[in-house]
Amino acid sequence: MRAPSTPSTPVTHRRVPTAILVVYALLLALGLGLASAYWALDGEPPFGTLRLGSWQAWPKLGSPEADPYMRALLARRSDVPLATGEGLGFTATTDSEGRPLDSACSYSIGPVAPAARLWTLSLYDAEGRLPATELRRQGFTSAEVLRDARDQFTIALSRHLQPGNWLQLPASGTFSVVLRLYDPPGAAGANLEEGDFPAIRRLGCGA
Amino acid sequence: MRGFGRFLIATLSGLVLAVGVHIAAILASPYLAEQDAFAKIQPTLTADKAQIIGAPGGENTWLPRPDPAVAVAACAFDLRNGPMRVAAKTGALPLSFSFHKKTGGVFFAVTDRAAIRGELEIVAMTARQLDEARAAEDENDPSRDVRIVAPEQQGFVIVRVAAPTPSLRRQAEETAKAVSCTAEQDA
Repeated sequence: MRAPSTPSTPVTHRRVPTAILVVYALLLALGLGLASAYWALDGEPPFGTLRLGSWQAWPKLGSPEADPYMRALLARRSDVPLATGEGLGFTATTDSEGRPLDSACSYSIGPVAPAARLWTLSLYDAEGRLPATELRRQGFTSAEVLRDARDQFTIALSRHLQPGNWLQLPASGTFSVVLRLYDPPGAAGANLEEGDFPAIRRLGCGA
Repeated sequence: MRGFGRFLIATLSGLVLAVGVHIAAILASPYLAEQDAFAKIQPTLTADKAQIIGAPGGENTWLPRPDPAVAVAACAFDLRNGPMRVAAKTGALPLSFSFHKKTGGVFFAVTDRAAIRGELEIVAMTARQLDEARAAEDENDPSRDVRIVAPEQQGFVIVRVAAPTPSLRRQAEETAKAVSCTAEQDA
């Protein structure tokens, strides 16, 4: 039996742990680095968000100045963004008061939309697909939406039949609304104001 | 205590390296992605006409969040085969081209407002091909082509034709399909 002597302790302490600590540091780097990259690419681009009320857009997404996160996201989603000059897409996942859009509720969208040669408003379910509903209509364009005498419109989002511009919501879950402005005047994303955008008002929930 | 200090140093260096791994992963992913838009459009490289990748109505497409009112067609290009000429006859329906690099990222876009006498025609070429074309040009009869320098040799063009009403969707799809993308032989 060897008595534990003081000079031998630092040796046993240092030899084995150094290799283990290096492996630990590398694994930590790999794990955290890849996990955070994966996490960053799972949602929406983290930077360059233009927020107007409940509407969000990434004006740089379709330009040569797109940041590395945007490029990585596009590659991962196999997405083709609207280019600056072609138009700009705005996404809403909440109503005007910040509550998530839920297909159990009814909403009204209106009364104005920003100036553009054409705009389209489309519904997507939680997975980003066009919802399959009995109505078989998933959106409106500025050319087909019904307007009142003051040139304003109201689109009703509900699971149940509504008069006027009605879009049927998917059977369950959250959903999102995308407003795409095609060929807007001026540079995309510039000189747009919150007041130009339609408000999403929740009318009621349940049944 | 000393062991703890070493453990702390190892953790800190792990965190610093993690930042590097994160940045490297984000920067590399457009180059490593195998399922990106270019990979899906690449089979259209040999076609002379733009191929529909998202028909209006938004069915049977790999595009995320397709706009049901828009027909989307694409043609891939490889400028090693020579400059590529994209031409469309414009009509009443809003039409636009956007030019994308292979690794994602738009480098040029134009709408049918830039059309001349109902025709929108763009030639994408490399900087070298542009120099050659300029050198070969007759000074008294300069080319009227709209020339765009592509930052990468490979990429794709997306054609979008919007249908303001559902009854125009078929026409939008036909217009998008009729866009031609041809590789020019070096003159």
